[in-house]
Amino acid sequence: MSAPTVEIHDVRKRFGRTTALQGVTFDVAAGITGLLGPNGAGKTTLLRMMATVLAPDDGRLRLLSWDPQAADERLAIRRRLGYMPQEPGFHRSFTAFEFVDYVAILKEMTERRARHDEVRRVLGLVGLEGVSGRKIKALSGGMRRRVALAQSLLGDPDLLVLDEPTAGLDPEQRLRFRELVSDRTADRTVILSTHQTEDVAALCQRVIVMLDGQVLFEGTPRELTQVADRRVWLADDRAAGARLSWRTADGAHRNIGEAPSDADLVAPTLEDGYLLLVGDRAFAEEAA
Amino acid sequence: MTVRADGDDALLLAVAQGDRQALEALYRRHAPWLLARLRRRCADPGLVEEVVQDTFVAVWQGAGRYRGTGDVPAWIWGIGIRRLIDRLRKTSPVPRSADDALVVSAEDEVLLGVEHGDLGAALGHLSPELRAVVQATVLDGLTTREAATLLGIPQGTVKTRAARARRELREVLA
Amino acid sequence: MTTTWHADPIALAAYVEGSLDDVRASSLEAHLLTCDRCRDGVATSTPADAIDRMWGGVVDTIDTPHRSAVERLLLALRVPEHLARLLMATPSLRLSWLVAEALALGFAVIAANGTSGQDEELVLFLFLVVAALLPVAGVAVAFGPGIDPTYEVAAAAPMPADRLLLIRAAAVLASSVSITALAALALPDLDAIAAAWLLPALGLTAATLALGTWVRPLVAAASVALTWVLFAAAAAVSTQDRLAAFRPAGQVACLAVIAASAAVLAHRHTLSEGRIVR
Repeated sequence: MSAPTVEIHDVRKRFGRTTALQGVTFDVAAGITGLLGPNGAGKTTLLRMMATVLAPDDGRLRLLSWDPQAADERLAIRRRLGYMPQEPGFHRSFTAFEFVDYVAILKEMTERRARHDEVRRVLGLVGLEGVSGRKIKALSGGMRRRVALAQSLLGDPDLLVLDEPTAGLDPEQRLRFRELVSDRTADRTVILSTHQTEDVAALCQRVIVMLDGQVLFEGTPRELTQVADRRVWLADDRAAGARLSWRTADGAHRNIGEAPSDADLVAPTLEDGYLLLVGDRAFAEEAA
Repeated sequence: MTVRADGDDALLLAVAQGDRQALEALYRRHAPWLLARLRRRCADPGLVEEVVQDTFVAVWQGAGRYRGTGDVPAWIWGIGIRRLIDRLRKTSPVPRSADDALVVSAEDEVLLGVEHGDLGAALGHLSPELRAVVQATVLDGLTTREAATLLGIPQGTVKTRAARARRELREVLA
Repeated sequence: MTTTWHADPIALAAYVEGSLDDVRASSLEAHLLTCDRCRDGVATSTPADAIDRMWGGVVDTIDTPHRSAVERLLLALRVPEHLARLLMATPSLRLSWLVAEALALGFAVIAANGTSGQDEELVLFLFLVVAALLPVAGVAVAFGPGIDPTYEVAAAAPMPADRLLLIRAAAVLASSVSITALAALALPDLDAIAAAWLLPALGLTAATLALGTWVRPLVAAASVALTWVLFAAAAAVSTQDRLAAFRPAGQVACLAVIAASAAVLAHRHTLSEGRIVR
């Protein structure tokens, strides 16, 4: 891995009695890194720290070679940072344009004409230039998320922190998002969290799997797939020794776990690797 | 009348719903001729450009008020020429040369668009002042007062010249 | 009217340039009202820079946000455009809030004018207490994670949170003071006591901001408000003088509070940044 742009070292965080992060350590370099894990894994907490919105109880971070605990360095980070929160909040009566314009002012763009040009640019990147005059409350959920994504792109940040950016997007918008984010990976660091293994497979150079505030895996998507090597097989029914099993569309059962010697092995997917690590926690969260 | 998907009516409807790309499509289609036409009414190019801009802002804001009569260009022209007159009212008017000529239909719009032929020549017989008045009141669809502002002459003069022009046209065409 | 006649390209180019003779030009204009194809011809003959320039102007005008009356007032007062925009996102600077303030004071004023003697003094007491609290309420409403929906995004932005807070607090204070001053003019007795709310208002606001360096603005505002009400009531009861809190001694106390708060703010200028928590 090339020189890290984000360093997380033994970071811990509690909220009251709940431990959100239990000593998380990893590095992130330029390119796209995916944070994969079920709800409650601590992804949002970690991303908020990377966006300088939250401070850890213990441990330290370095973002773009600066320390977010020092006030002036924090300012330097924020000048190169774009952050898309999981639940973006908006002022009710703002139009899409006005909201992104507001954030642009917060990002110190004081000159009106240049600022408006930049707002139009980012709205164009997410495909919302046609509805920039519409009030946010009149936009669909997917469009609102795209507005939130647009504001994170203001000023062309070096560090892009995106919390569930593809939630609520249809496949075409997802594709567009991937194109958008894949641009300029050489000098930009993108960290995004997601539930969807397809996003990771299509987009990420590195993936980190989290569960219960801990890192279970750190590596390339291929390596994550290989975790399930020789551990995925098909059978007529749920097999003994399978940690997870489910019925596929064609009627067979896909099993993940310790395969018996005569098993009908199949090539693993990224999702298989993920599920093997996370176990039935993934299903439990989806059912919730 | 069928409505083409990208016809003016459809675009205007989209604009009324806040579609900016529809506005741009309308703009690219109509701003050029509007610019040229207004330039022939006012010699101040900066003012004319502002008026064209204002016109399309007005289109954006007022698209919902358009009553689908199937004549979007005429509607746009109406907005544009009135904006120009409003501006001229405020600043001192820069008059066009008196050599304005026109082709006009006396009362009948079928005659509009006649390029060659007797009518065109007949109008060519009118003096420039009479032609200018007829152009303003008939071709541009202005009221007497608006025509007066545009041409920089009193309203009474507009009326007398229009009457005279019509008389002369009938004589020539008879 | 169907037409198979179209203008030839030379005529179109001449028309755009302005050199077409008038008879043909007018005929062409009438034709252009009904013909897509010739309109396109005009478009291709028109230089692109003027067209693009005007479009930029259209877009800029359309995108200029709709400015409310309050925002236009701010701009008229020479507040920089980006600051005015920022302030307009403050709920307590919205017209509805300002109207609410005016109404609250208005009722007090009407009540004061409608009573006399002991009752009048009571109403005046209430007026003064409430007047001092208005900016504090405004600051509380203007800030805080629970109230500001864009908190999360704003927290990650370079604009320091304390600067934003101070700008908003100043604007809220200015607006509250202006409205209250106008209302006070309508009070029955225009003596010094009618202005006795000013220093307390400043003092309470300063105290709220200072306290806000330790706790959330909402908590700070509530604590300050409660303390004030209790203090004013206690002063009234213990000295048998309803307006005790507003007499010279009270005013001096307010000055002291202002001074102390300013010192705290200057010292702990990283206002609430340490509390980047939830």
